[in-house]
Amino acid sequence: MSKPELWVIAERRLDHVEPTTFQLLTKARQLAGDRFHTVAILFEATNDHLETELQPYAPDEIRIVRDDRFPTATDAEHADALAQLVAQYQPNSILFGATITGRSIAPRLQAKLLTGLTADCLDLRFDDETLVATKPSYGDNIMCEIICPDHRPQMATVRPNTFVAEPATGTAELTPVTVAFHPVERLQVKTATPVVNTATTVGDASRVVALGRGAANTATIDTATRLAEKLGGRIGVSRPLTDLDRFTHDDQIGQSGNTIHPDLILNFGISGAVQYLVGMQSAKTIVAVNSDSNAPIFDVADYGYVGDANAFMTALLAQFV
Amino acid sequence: MKPKTIVVCIKQVPETNEVTIDPQTHNLDRRGLAGIMNPFDKNAVEQALQLADQTPAKVVLLSMGPDDYAESLREGMAMGADAGYLLSDRAFAGADTLATGYVIAQAIKQIGEVDLVLFGRQAVDADTGQVGPIVAEFLHQPQITYAASLRLSGDNEITAERLLEDTKQTLVAQLPAVVTVRSELNTPRYPTPRNIQLSFEKPLTIWHHDDLDLDDSRLGQAGSPTIVTKVYEPKPTKRELTSLTGTPTEAASQLIKALKAHQLI
Repeated sequence: MSKPELWVIAERRLDHVEPTTFQLLTKARQLAGDRFHTVAILFEATNDHLETELQPYAPDEIRIVRDDRFPTATDAEHADALAQLVAQYQPNSILFGATITGRSIAPRLQAKLLTGLTADCLDLRFDDETLVATKPSYGDNIMCEIICPDHRPQMATVRPNTFVAEPATGTAELTPVTVAFHPVERLQVKTATPVVNTATTVGDASRVVALGRGAANTATIDTATRLAEKLGGRIGVSRPLTDLDRFTHDDQIGQSGNTIHPDLILNFGISGAVQYLVGMQSAKTIVAVNSDSNAPIFDVADYGYVGDANAFMTALLAQFV
Repeated sequence: MKPKTIVVCIKQVPETNEVTIDPQTHNLDRRGLAGIMNPFDKNAVEQALQLADQTPAKVVLLSMGPDDYAESLREGMAMGADAGYLLSDRAFAGADTLATGYVIAQAIKQIGEVDLVLFGRQAVDADTGQVGPIVAEFLHQPQITYAASLRLSGDNEITAERLLEDTKQTLVAQLPAVVTVRSELNTPRYPTPRNIQLSFEKPLTIWHHDDLDLDDSRLGQAGSPTIVTKVYEPKPTKRELTSLTGTPTEAASQLIKALKAHQLI
Protein backbone atom coordinates (compact mmCIF):
# COMPACT_ATOMS: atom_id res chain seq x y z
CA MET A 1 0.00 0.00 0.00
CA SER A 2 1.26 3.45 -0.82
CA LYS A 3 2.21 5.84 1.97
CA PRO A 4 -0.21 8.53 3.10
CA GLU A 5 0.63 11.91 1.59
CA LEU A 6 1.69 14.98 3.55
CA TRP A 7 1.36 18.12 1.43
CA VAL A 8 2.94 21.52 1.69
CA ILE A 9 1.33 24.22 -0.45
CA ALA A 10 4.14 26.32 -1.91
CA GLU A 11 3.37 30.00 -1.73
CA ARG A 12 4.65 32.51 -4.19
CA ARG A 13 5.98 35.90 -3.23
CA LEU A 14 6.66 38.02 -6.32
CA ASP A 15 9.08 35.95 -8.43
CA HIS A 16 10.17 33.67 -5.62
CA VAL A 17 8.87 31.08 -3.17
CA GLU A 18 7.76 32.51 0.16
CA PRO A 19 10.25 31.46 2.92
CA THR A 20 7.57 29.84 5.12
CA THR A 21 7.26 27.18 2.41
CA PHE A 22 10.87 26.08 3.02
CA GLN A 23 10.25 25.97 6.78
CA LEU A 24 7.20 23.75 6.21
CA LEU A 25 9.06 21.45 3.80
CA THR A 26 11.76 20.97 6.44
CA LYS A 27 9.20 20.22 9.14
CA ALA A 28 7.27 17.92 6.81
CA ARG A 29 10.41 15.82 6.19
CA GLN A 30 11.01 15.54 9.94
CA LEU A 31 7.38 14.55 10.57
CA ALA A 32 7.26 12.12 7.69
CA GLY A 33 10.20 9.87 8.48
CA ASP A 34 9.57 6.91 6.20
CA ARG A 35 5.86 6.79 7.06
CA PHE A 36 4.61 9.61 4.82
CA HIS A 37 5.17 10.68 1.25
CA THR A 38 5.95 14.42 1.33
CA VAL A 39 4.66 16.47 -1.58
CA ALA A 40 5.12 20.13 -2.42
CA ILE A 41 2.26 21.55 -4.48
CA LEU A 42 3.42 24.35 -6.77
CA PHE A 43 1.39 26.58 -9.06
CA GLU A 44 3.48 28.50 -11.56
CA ALA A 45 3.44 30.20 -14.92
CA THR A 46 4.62 28.22 -17.96
CA ASN A 47 8.00 29.97 -18.01
CA ASP A 48 8.64 29.76 -14.25
CA HIS A 49 10.98 27.29 -12.61
CA LEU A 50 10.27 27.85 -8.93
CA GLU A 51 10.73 24.11 -8.31
CA THR A 52 14.48 24.82 -8.31
CA GLU A 53 13.94 26.79 -5.10
CA LEU A 54 12.00 23.89 -3.54
CA GLN A 55 14.40 21.09 -4.51
CA PRO A 56 17.08 21.87 -1.85
CA TYR A 57 14.49 21.07 0.84
CA ALA A 58 14.00 17.64 -0.73
CA PRO A 59 10.35 16.74 -0.56
CA ASP A 60 9.73 13.27 -2.02
CA GLU A 61 7.77 14.83 -4.86
CA ILE A 62 6.96 18.23 -6.33
CA ARG A 63 3.67 18.36 -8.22
CA ILE A 64 3.65 21.30 -10.58
CA VAL A 65 0.60 22.93 -12.10
CA ARG A 66 1.81 25.13 -14.98
CA ASP A 67 -0.78 27.68 -16.01
CA ASP A 68 -0.17 31.38 -16.63
CA ARG A 69 -3.41 32.29 -14.85
CA PHE A 70 -2.47 30.93 -11.42
CA PRO A 71 0.20 33.39 -10.30
CA THR A 72 -2.49 36.09 -10.22
CA ALA A 73 -5.49 33.88 -9.42
CA THR A 74 -7.90 34.78 -6.63
CA ASP A 75 -8.41 32.81 -3.41
CA ALA A 76 -11.48 30.95 -4.66
CA GLU A 77 -9.74 29.98 -7.91
CA HIS A 78 -6.79 28.58 -5.98
CA ALA A 79 -9.07 26.75 -3.57
CA ASP A 80 -10.96 25.26 -6.50
CA ALA A 81 -7.74 24.00 -8.11
CA LEU A 82 -6.52 22.52 -4.82
CA ALA A 83 -9.86 20.78 -4.29
CA GLN A 84 -9.38 19.06 -7.66
CA LEU A 85 -5.93 17.84 -6.65
CA VAL A 86 -7.25 16.64 -3.28
CA ALA A 87 -9.98 14.65 -5.05
CA GLN A 88 -7.35 13.06 -7.28
CA TYR A 89 -4.66 12.22 -4.70
CA GLN A 90 -6.54 12.02 -1.35
CA PRO A 91 -3.75 13.43 0.86
CA ASN A 92 -3.66 12.69 4.58
CA SER A 93 -2.68 16.26 5.55
CA ILE A 94 -2.12 19.68 4.00
CA LEU A 95 0.07 22.44 5.44
CA PHE A 96 -0.13 26.14 4.49
CA GLY A 97 1.90 29.08 5.74
CA ALA A 98 -0.24 31.27 8.01
CA THR A 99 0.46 34.21 5.72
CA ILE A 100 -2.31 36.47 4.44
CA THR A 101 -2.50 34.31 1.32
CA GLY A 102 -2.46 31.01 3.23
CA ARG A 103 -5.01 32.20 5.74
CA SER A 104 -7.31 33.25 2.89
CA ILE A 105 -7.10 30.17 0.65
CA ALA A 106 -6.98 27.44 3.33
CA PRO A 107 -10.40 28.13 4.95
CA ARG A 108 -12.00 28.46 1.52
CA LEU A 109 -10.60 25.01 0.66
CA GLN A 110 -11.66 23.68 4.06
CA ALA A 111 -15.25 24.68 3.36
CA LYS A 112 -15.16 22.96 -0.04
CA LEU A 113 -13.81 19.76 1.51
CA LEU A 114 -15.90 19.97 4.72
CA THR A 115 -12.90 19.07 6.83
CA GLY A 116 -10.95 20.53 9.78
CA LEU A 117 -8.43 23.37 9.62
CA THR A 118 -6.32 24.54 12.56
CA ALA A 119 -5.08 28.11 12.35
CA ASP A 120 -1.71 29.72 12.96
CA CYS A 121 -0.05 26.63 14.48
CA LEU A 122 3.09 26.78 16.57
CA ASP A 123 3.82 23.06 16.59
CA LEU A 124 2.87 19.92 14.70
CA ARG A 125 3.29 16.19 15.35
CA PHE A 126 1.72 12.95 14.23
CA ASP A 127 0.19 10.39 16.56
CA ASP A 128 0.05 7.51 14.07
CA GLU A 129 -1.66 9.17 11.14
CA THR A 130 -3.47 11.80 13.19
CA LEU A 131 -2.02 15.29 12.94
CA VAL A 132 -1.80 16.99 16.35
CA ALA A 133 -1.60 20.74 15.81
CA THR A 134 -0.73 23.21 18.57
CA LYS A 135 -2.69 26.39 18.20
CA PRO A 136 -2.29 29.53 20.29
CA SER A 137 -5.38 31.29 21.59
CA TYR A 138 -6.08 34.38 23.69
CA GLY A 139 -3.15 36.25 22.19
CA ASP A 140 -0.73 33.34 22.72
CA ASN A 141 -1.53 33.13 26.44
CA ILE A 142 -3.11 29.71 25.98
CA MET A 143 -2.09 26.78 23.80
CA CYS A 144 -4.55 24.18 22.47
CA GLU A 145 -3.77 20.82 20.91
CA ILE A 146 -6.27 20.17 18.15
CA ILE A 147 -6.93 17.06 16.11
CA CYS A 148 -9.24 16.23 13.23
CA PRO A 149 -9.84 12.52 13.83
CA ASP A 150 -12.49 11.51 11.30
CA HIS A 151 -12.08 13.83 8.32
CA ARG A 152 -9.40 13.91 5.65
CA PRO A 153 -7.39 15.77 4.68
CA GLN A 154 -6.27 17.24 7.99
CA MET A 155 -5.32 20.87 7.42
CA ALA A 156 -3.25 23.46 9.25
CA THR A 157 -1.85 26.91 8.65
CA VAL A 158 1.51 27.40 10.38
CA ARG A 159 2.85 30.71 11.66
CA PRO A 160 5.84 31.99 9.67
CA ASN A 161 9.24 31.44 11.35
CA THR A 162 7.88 28.74 13.65
CA PHE A 163 10.23 26.19 12.12
CA VAL A 164 13.74 26.64 10.77
CA ALA A 165 14.35 25.82 7.11
CA GLU A 166 17.23 23.41 6.59
CA PRO A 167 18.32 22.11 3.19
CA ALA A 168 18.36 18.31 2.98
CA THR A 169 19.76 15.67 0.68
CA GLY A 170 17.44 13.77 -1.58
CA THR A 171 16.00 14.16 -5.04
CA ALA A 172 12.46 15.32 -5.45
CA GLU A 173 10.50 13.64 -8.20
CA LEU A 174 9.00 16.34 -10.47
CA THR A 175 5.46 15.56 -11.59
CA PRO A 176 3.53 17.87 -13.91
CA VAL A 177 -0.18 17.80 -13.12
CA THR A 178 -3.14 19.53 -14.71
CA VAL A 179 -6.27 20.99 -13.21
CA ALA A 180 -9.16 22.83 -14.80
CA PHE A 181 -9.07 26.58 -14.21
CA HIS A 182 -12.52 27.80 -13.21
CA PRO A 183 -12.50 31.60 -13.29
CA VAL A 184 -14.57 33.51 -10.73
CA GLU A 185 -16.34 35.99 -13.00
CA ARG A 186 -17.54 38.33 -10.28
CA LEU A 187 -14.11 39.23 -8.88
CA GLN A 188 -11.32 40.88 -10.83
CA VAL A 189 -7.82 41.80 -9.72
CA LYS A 190 -7.52 45.23 -11.41
CA THR A 191 -4.01 46.10 -10.34
CA ALA A 192 -1.24 44.35 -8.46
CA THR A 193 1.68 46.56 -7.51
CA PRO A 194 4.76 45.18 -5.80
CA VAL A 195 5.26 46.93 -2.50
CA VAL A 196 8.85 48.06 -2.43
CA ASN A 197 9.74 47.15 1.08
CA THR A 198 13.48 47.08 1.62
CA ALA A 199 13.15 46.94 5.40
CA THR A 200 13.17 43.41 6.69
CA THR A 201 10.49 42.40 9.16
CA VAL A 202 11.45 41.72 12.74
CA GLY A 203 10.90 38.03 11.99
CA ASP A 204 13.67 38.07 9.35
CA ALA A 205 16.29 39.90 11.42
CA SER A 206 19.19 37.93 12.89
CA ARG A 207 19.79 40.65 15.51
CA VAL A 208 16.92 42.33 17.31
CA VAL A 209 16.85 45.25 19.73
CA ALA A 210 13.53 44.83 21.53
CA LEU A 211 11.82 47.64 23.42
CA GLY A 212 9.04 47.51 25.99
CA ARG A 213 7.11 49.81 28.25
CA GLY A 214 10.25 50.58 30.28
CA ALA A 215 12.08 51.85 27.20
CA ALA A 216 9.34 53.84 25.51
CA ASN A 217 10.56 57.43 25.67
CA THR A 218 11.82 59.15 22.54
CA ALA A 219 15.44 59.41 23.68
CA THR A 220 15.63 55.70 24.47
CA ILE A 221 14.01 54.74 21.17
CA ASP A 222 16.51 56.95 19.30
CA THR A 223 19.43 55.32 21.10
CA ALA A 224 17.97 51.89 20.38
CA THR A 225 17.64 52.76 16.69
CA ARG A 226 21.35 53.65 16.54
CA LEU A 227 22.20 50.43 18.37
CA ALA A 228 20.11 48.34 15.96
CA GLU A 229 21.89 50.00 13.00
CA LYS A 230 25.26 49.31 14.56
CA LEU A 231 24.37 45.64 15.05
CA GLY A 232 22.93 45.34 11.55
CA GLY A 233 19.66 44.42 13.17
CA ARG A 234 16.18 45.69 13.64
CA ILE A 235 13.96 47.13 16.33
CA GLY A 236 11.15 44.96 17.69
CA VAL A 237 8.60 45.94 20.31
CA SER A 238 6.30 44.39 22.87
CA ARG A 239 2.60 45.12 22.66
CA PRO A 240 2.39 48.42 24.62
CA LEU A 241 4.71 50.15 22.14
CA THR A 242 2.50 49.34 19.17
CA ASP A 243 0.32 52.22 20.41
CA LEU A 244 3.12 54.64 19.45
CA ASP A 245 2.93 56.13 15.95
CA ARG A 246 6.38 54.93 14.95
CA PHE A 247 5.58 51.24 15.48
CA THR A 248 2.98 48.91 14.02
CA HIS A 249 1.86 45.35 14.67
CA ASP A 250 4.48 44.31 12.10
CA ASP A 251 7.14 45.33 14.60
CA GLN A 252 5.55 43.39 17.45
CA ILE A 253 7.12 40.29 18.95
CA GLY A 254 4.82 37.64 20.41
CA GLN A 255 1.04 37.76 20.84
CA SER A 256 -0.37 36.88 17.42
CA GLY A 257 2.54 38.83 16.06
CA ASN A 258 5.91 37.62 15.04
CA THR A 259 7.49 34.51 16.44
CA ILE A 260 11.19 35.14 16.00
CA HIS A 261 14.43 33.21 16.35
CA PRO A 262 17.30 35.64 15.85
CA ASP A 263 20.89 34.85 16.77
CA LEU A 264 20.81 37.70 19.28
CA ILE A 265 18.06 39.65 21.00
CA LEU A 266 18.64 42.52 23.41
CA ASN A 267 15.53 43.22 25.51
CA PHE A 268 15.20 46.68 27.03
CA GLY A 269 12.44 47.65 29.44
CA ILE A 270 10.51 44.46 28.78
CA SER A 271 9.22 42.71 31.87
CA GLY A 272 8.27 39.55 29.97
CA ALA A 273 4.61 38.59 29.56
CA VAL A 274 4.20 34.88 28.77
CA GLN A 275 3.24 35.42 25.13
CA TYR A 276 6.23 37.69 24.64
CA LEU A 277 8.64 35.16 26.13
CA VAL A 278 7.16 32.37 24.04
CA GLY A 279 7.48 34.55 20.93
CA MET A 280 11.23 35.11 21.32
CA GLN A 281 12.56 32.25 23.43
CA SER A 282 14.06 30.44 20.44
CA ALA A 283 16.64 33.22 20.10
CA LYS A 284 20.16 31.78 20.39
CA THR A 285 21.38 34.44 22.81
CA ILE A 286 19.03 36.49 24.99
CA VAL A 287 20.08 39.63 26.83
CA ALA A 288 17.77 41.52 29.19
CA VAL A 289 18.10 44.97 30.74
CA ASN A 290 15.38 46.03 33.14
CA SER A 291 15.19 48.25 36.19
CA ASP A 292 13.12 45.62 38.02
CA SER A 293 15.30 42.74 39.20
CA ASN A 294 12.20 40.55 39.60
CA ALA A 295 11.09 40.92 35.98
CA PRO A 296 10.25 37.48 34.48
CA ILE A 297 12.43 38.27 31.45
CA PHE A 298 15.52 37.47 33.57
CA ASP A 299 14.32 33.85 33.97
CA VAL A 300 14.77 33.19 30.26
CA ALA A 301 17.80 35.41 29.61
CA ASP A 302 21.44 34.38 29.16
CA TYR A 303 22.76 37.78 30.24
CA GLY A 304 20.98 40.29 32.47
CA TYR A 305 21.58 43.77 33.82
CA VAL A 306 19.42 45.50 36.39
CA GLY A 307 19.43 49.19 35.55
CA ASP A 308 18.40 51.94 33.17
CA ALA A 309 17.91 50.89 29.54
CA ASN A 310 19.03 54.13 27.91
CA ALA A 311 22.16 54.42 30.07
CA PHE A 312 23.14 50.85 29.25
CA MET A 313 22.55 51.26 25.52
CA THR A 314 24.52 54.51 25.48
CA ALA A 315 27.42 52.79 27.23
CA LEU A 316 27.20 49.88 24.79
CA LEU A 317 27.26 52.19 21.77
CA ALA A 318 30.23 54.11 23.18
CA GLN A 319 32.27 50.89 23.40
CA PHE A 320 31.53 49.51 19.94
CA VAL A 321 34.57 49.90 17.78
CA MET B 1 -32.67 52.25 -6.27
CA LYS B 2 -33.33 49.58 -3.69
CA PRO B 3 -31.43 50.11 -0.43
CA LYS B 4 -28.56 47.67 0.08
CA THR B 5 -28.48 45.17 2.91
CA ILE B 6 -25.10 44.90 4.59
CA VAL B 7 -24.64 42.14 7.16
CA VAL B 8 -21.78 42.48 9.64
CA CYS B 9 -20.85 39.26 11.46
CA ILE B 10 -19.59 39.91 14.96
CA LYS B 11 -18.31 37.82 17.83
CA GLN B 12 -18.37 38.48 21.55
CA VAL B 13 -15.02 37.89 23.26
CA PRO B 14 -13.73 38.20 26.84
CA GLU B 15 -12.70 41.74 27.79
CA THR B 16 -9.10 40.60 28.27
CA ASN B 17 -6.85 37.87 26.93
CA GLU B 18 -5.32 37.36 30.38
CA VAL B 19 -7.07 34.04 30.92
CA THR B 20 -5.72 31.15 32.97
CA ILE B 21 -6.30 27.43 33.28
CA ASP B 22 -8.12 26.00 36.28
CA PRO B 23 -5.53 23.60 37.75
CA GLN B 24 -8.29 21.18 38.87
CA THR B 25 -10.49 20.94 35.81
CA HIS B 26 -7.87 21.93 33.17
CA ASN B 27 -10.55 24.11 31.63
CA LEU B 28 -10.20 27.77 30.79
CA ASP B 29 -11.06 29.93 33.76
CA ARG B 30 -13.10 32.82 32.40
CA ARG B 31 -14.94 33.61 35.60
CA GLY B 32 -15.59 37.28 36.17
CA LEU B 33 -14.60 38.28 32.64
CA ALA B 34 -17.16 40.50 30.96
CA GLY B 35 -17.91 40.06 27.26
CA ILE B 36 -17.20 42.77 24.71
CA MET B 37 -17.53 43.00 20.96
CA ASN B 38 -14.39 41.63 19.29
CA PRO B 39 -12.37 44.84 18.67
CA PHE B 40 -11.59 43.90 15.03
CA ASP B 41 -15.33 43.53 14.38
CA LYS B 42 -15.85 47.19 15.26
CA ASN B 43 -13.85 48.06 12.15
CA ALA B 44 -16.29 46.00 10.11
CA VAL B 45 -19.28 47.73 11.73
CA GLU B 46 -17.67 51.12 11.10
CA GLN B 47 -17.03 50.25 7.45
CA ALA B 48 -20.65 49.19 6.99
CA LEU B 49 -21.84 52.47 8.50
CA GLN B 50 -19.52 54.44 6.21
CA LEU B 51 -20.86 52.56 3.17
CA ALA B 52 -24.37 53.33 4.39
CA ASP B 53 -23.40 57.02 4.34
CA GLN B 54 -22.40 56.56 0.70
CA THR B 55 -25.59 54.86 -0.44
CA PRO B 56 -28.96 54.00 1.11
CA ALA B 57 -28.30 50.81 3.06
CA LYS B 58 -29.53 48.85 6.01
CA VAL B 59 -26.78 47.62 8.34
CA VAL B 60 -27.66 44.33 10.03
CA LEU B 61 -25.54 42.69 12.72
CA LEU B 62 -25.31 38.92 13.03
CA SER B 63 -23.79 36.89 15.82
CA MET B 64 -23.88 33.31 17.07
CA GLY B 65 -23.62 32.52 20.75
CA PRO B 66 -25.45 32.38 24.06
CA ASP B 67 -28.17 34.91 24.91
CA ASP B 68 -25.77 37.30 26.64
CA TYR B 69 -24.12 37.93 23.25
CA ALA B 70 -27.04 40.32 22.76
CA GLU B 71 -24.85 42.85 24.56
CA SER B 72 -22.41 43.08 21.66
CA LEU B 73 -25.28 43.42 19.23
CA ARG B 74 -26.66 46.32 21.28
CA GLU B 75 -23.19 47.85 21.30
CA GLY B 76 -23.10 47.67 17.49
CA MET B 77 -26.59 49.12 17.21
CA ALA B 78 -25.49 51.95 19.51
CA MET B 79 -22.73 52.65 16.98
CA GLY B 80 -25.50 53.04 14.41
CA ALA B 81 -26.40 49.63 12.98
CA ASP B 82 -30.10 49.20 12.23
CA ALA B 83 -30.90 45.70 13.45
CA GLY B 84 -29.38 42.62 15.05
CA TYR B 85 -29.82 38.86 14.79
CA LEU B 86 -28.53 36.47 17.43
CA LEU B 87 -28.27 32.77 16.57
CA SER B 88 -28.66 31.10 19.90
CA ASP B 89 -29.35 27.45 20.53
CA ARG B 90 -27.83 24.63 22.51
CA ALA B 91 -27.54 22.72 19.24
CA PHE B 92 -24.99 25.31 18.02
CA ALA B 93 -22.69 24.95 21.05
CA GLY B 94 -19.20 23.52 20.68
CA ALA B 95 -19.00 24.47 17.02
CA ASP B 96 -15.60 24.85 15.36
CA THR B 97 -15.05 27.26 12.46
CA LEU B 98 -16.69 24.96 9.92
CA ALA B 99 -19.89 24.38 11.92
CA THR B 100 -20.02 28.08 12.87
CA GLY B 101 -19.61 29.12 9.25
CA TYR B 102 -22.42 26.78 8.22
CA VAL B 103 -24.98 28.24 10.64
CA ILE B 104 -23.98 31.81 9.81
CA ALA B 105 -24.25 31.13 6.07
CA GLN B 106 -27.71 29.61 6.57
CA ALA B 107 -28.78 32.65 8.60
CA ILE B 108 -27.54 35.02 5.88
CA LYS B 109 -29.64 33.09 3.36
CA GLN B 110 -32.60 33.41 5.71
CA ILE B 111 -32.15 37.19 6.10
CA GLY B 112 -32.39 37.21 2.32
CA GLU B 113 -31.18 39.52 -0.45
CA VAL B 114 -27.99 40.38 1.38
CA ASP B 115 -25.67 42.44 -0.84
CA LEU B 116 -22.52 42.47 1.25
CA VAL B 117 -21.25 40.49 4.24
CA LEU B 118 -18.46 42.01 6.33
CA PHE B 119 -16.21 40.40 8.93
CA GLY B 120 -13.41 41.70 11.14
CA ARG B 121 -10.03 40.22 10.26
CA GLN B 122 -10.18 37.68 13.11
CA ALA B 123 -11.44 37.30 16.66
CA VAL B 124 -8.91 38.25 19.31
CA ASP B 125 -9.66 35.16 21.42
CA ALA B 126 -9.47 32.30 18.93
CA ASP B 127 -7.46 34.18 16.30
CA THR B 128 -8.48 31.99 13.36
CA GLY B 129 -9.90 34.43 10.81
CA GLN B 130 -11.43 31.40 9.07
CA VAL B 131 -15.17 31.98 9.33
CA GLY B 132 -15.25 34.76 6.68
CA PRO B 133 -13.80 32.66 3.84
CA ILE B 134 -15.85 29.63 4.96
CA VAL B 135 -19.08 31.65 4.77
CA ALA B 136 -18.03 33.04 1.35
CA GLU B 137 -17.58 29.49 0.09
CA PHE B 138 -20.90 28.27 1.51
CA LEU B 139 -22.67 31.25 -0.10
CA HIS B 140 -20.74 30.71 -3.38
CA GLN B 141 -19.69 34.35 -3.33
CA PRO B 142 -16.44 36.09 -4.17
CA GLN B 143 -14.27 36.92 -1.17
CA ILE B 144 -11.87 39.76 -0.48
CA THR B 145 -9.87 39.16 2.70
CA TYR B 146 -7.83 41.64 4.74
CA ALA B 147 -9.21 44.65 2.87
CA ALA B 148 -7.27 47.83 3.63
CA SER B 149 -9.90 50.02 1.99
CA LEU B 150 -13.40 49.43 0.71
CA ARG B 151 -15.88 51.56 -1.23
CA LEU B 152 -18.88 51.22 -3.48
CA SER B 153 -17.67 51.88 -7.01
CA GLY B 154 -20.93 51.32 -8.84
CA ASP B 155 -24.52 50.44 -8.25
CA ASN B 156 -23.66 46.84 -7.67
CA GLU B 157 -19.91 46.86 -7.36
CA ILE B 158 -17.27 47.31 -4.66
CA THR B 159 -13.60 48.20 -4.97
CA ALA B 160 -11.15 47.17 -2.31
CA GLU B 161 -7.45 47.44 -1.73
CA ARG B 162 -5.72 44.44 -0.29
CA LEU B 163 -2.25 44.54 1.14
CA LEU B 164 -0.42 41.25 0.79
CA GLU B 165 3.06 40.81 2.23
CA ASP B 166 4.68 41.97 -1.00
CA THR B 167 1.89 43.28 -3.19
CA LYS B 168 -0.87 45.85 -3.12
CA GLN B 169 -3.90 44.60 -5.01
CA THR B 170 -6.93 46.52 -6.19
CA LEU B 171 -9.90 44.22 -6.52
CA VAL B 172 -13.33 44.85 -7.96
CA ALA B 173 -16.21 42.57 -7.02
CA GLN B 174 -19.78 42.46 -8.18
CA LEU B 175 -22.21 42.13 -5.31
CA PRO B 176 -23.12 40.05 -3.45
CA ALA B 177 -19.70 39.46 -1.92
CA VAL B 178 -17.95 38.71 1.37
CA VAL B 179 -15.21 41.01 2.68
CA THR B 180 -12.99 40.72 5.76
CA VAL B 181 -11.40 44.01 6.81
CA ARG B 182 -8.09 44.99 8.38
CA SER B 183 -8.15 47.12 11.49
CA GLU B 184 -6.09 49.81 9.74
CA LEU B 185 -8.87 50.83 7.38
CA ASN B 186 -10.84 53.02 9.78
CA THR B 187 -11.29 54.19 13.35
CA PRO B 188 -14.54 52.86 14.83
CA ARG B 189 -16.92 55.55 16.06
CA TYR B 190 -18.06 55.73 19.65
CA PRO B 191 -21.74 55.35 20.39
CA THR B 192 -23.38 58.73 21.08
CA PRO B 193 -25.80 58.99 24.03
CA ARG B 194 -28.63 59.44 21.54
CA ASN B 195 -27.62 56.34 19.57
CA ILE B 196 -27.35 54.34 22.77
CA GLN B 197 -30.88 55.35 23.62
CA LEU B 198 -32.09 54.57 20.09
CA SER B 199 -30.40 51.16 20.14
CA PHE B 200 -32.98 49.88 22.60
CA GLU B 201 -35.75 50.64 20.11
CA LYS B 202 -34.04 48.80 17.27
CA PRO B 203 -35.10 45.23 16.50
CA LEU B 204 -32.98 42.46 17.98
CA THR B 205 -34.18 39.08 16.80
CA ILE B 206 -33.12 35.81 18.36
CA TRP B 207 -33.19 32.85 16.01
CA HIS B 208 -33.18 29.37 17.48
CA HIS B 209 -32.55 26.07 15.75
CA ASP B 210 -36.10 25.75 14.39
CA ASP B 211 -36.09 29.25 12.90
CA LEU B 212 -33.42 28.25 10.39
CA ASP B 213 -33.17 25.67 7.62
CA LEU B 214 -30.45 23.42 9.02
CA ASP B 215 -28.92 20.00 8.49
CA ASP B 216 -28.48 18.74 12.07
CA SER B 217 -25.42 16.68 11.20
CA ARG B 218 -23.53 19.91 10.47
CA LEU B 219 -24.22 21.62 13.81
CA GLY B 220 -22.33 22.04 17.05
CA GLN B 221 -19.83 19.43 18.15
CA ALA B 222 -21.23 16.76 15.84
CA GLY B 223 -20.71 19.04 12.84
CA SER B 224 -17.19 20.04 13.87
CA PRO B 225 -14.33 18.06 12.31
CA THR B 226 -11.83 19.37 14.88
CA ILE B 227 -11.54 18.47 18.56
CA VAL B 228 -9.50 20.25 21.22
CA THR B 229 -7.66 17.49 23.08
CA LYS B 230 -5.51 19.58 25.41
CA VAL B 231 -5.45 23.14 26.73
CA TYR B 232 -2.43 24.50 28.60
CA GLU B 233 -0.51 27.62 29.48
CA PRO B 234 2.80 27.84 27.66
CA LYS B 235 5.81 27.71 29.96
CA PRO B 236 8.87 29.54 28.68
CA THR B 237 12.10 27.56 29.01
CA LYS B 238 14.36 28.85 31.78
CA ARG B 239 18.00 29.62 31.10
CA GLU B 240 21.00 30.06 33.33
CA LEU B 241 21.46 33.79 33.84
CA THR B 242 24.86 35.46 33.84
CA SER B 243 24.47 38.79 35.65
CA LEU B 244 26.17 41.87 34.27
CA THR B 245 27.24 44.08 37.15
CA GLY B 246 28.54 47.50 38.09
CA THR B 247 27.99 50.78 36.25
CA PRO B 248 26.37 50.76 32.82
CA THR B 249 29.83 51.18 31.28
CA GLU B 250 31.23 48.22 33.20
CA ALA B 251 28.21 46.05 32.43
CA ALA B 252 28.31 46.99 28.73
CA SER B 253 31.97 46.03 28.60
CA GLN B 254 31.18 42.61 30.11
CA LEU B 255 28.44 42.09 27.53
CA ILE B 256 30.66 43.07 24.60
CA LYS B 257 33.26 40.57 25.77
CA ALA B 258 30.63 37.83 26.00
CA LEU B 259 29.11 38.64 22.60
CA LYS B 260 32.56 38.63 21.02
CA ALA B 261 33.26 35.23 22.59
CA HIS B 262 30.07 33.95 20.94
CA GLN B 263 31.06 35.63 17.66
CA LEU B 264 27.87 37.66 17.79
CA ILE B 265 29.70 40.92 17.18
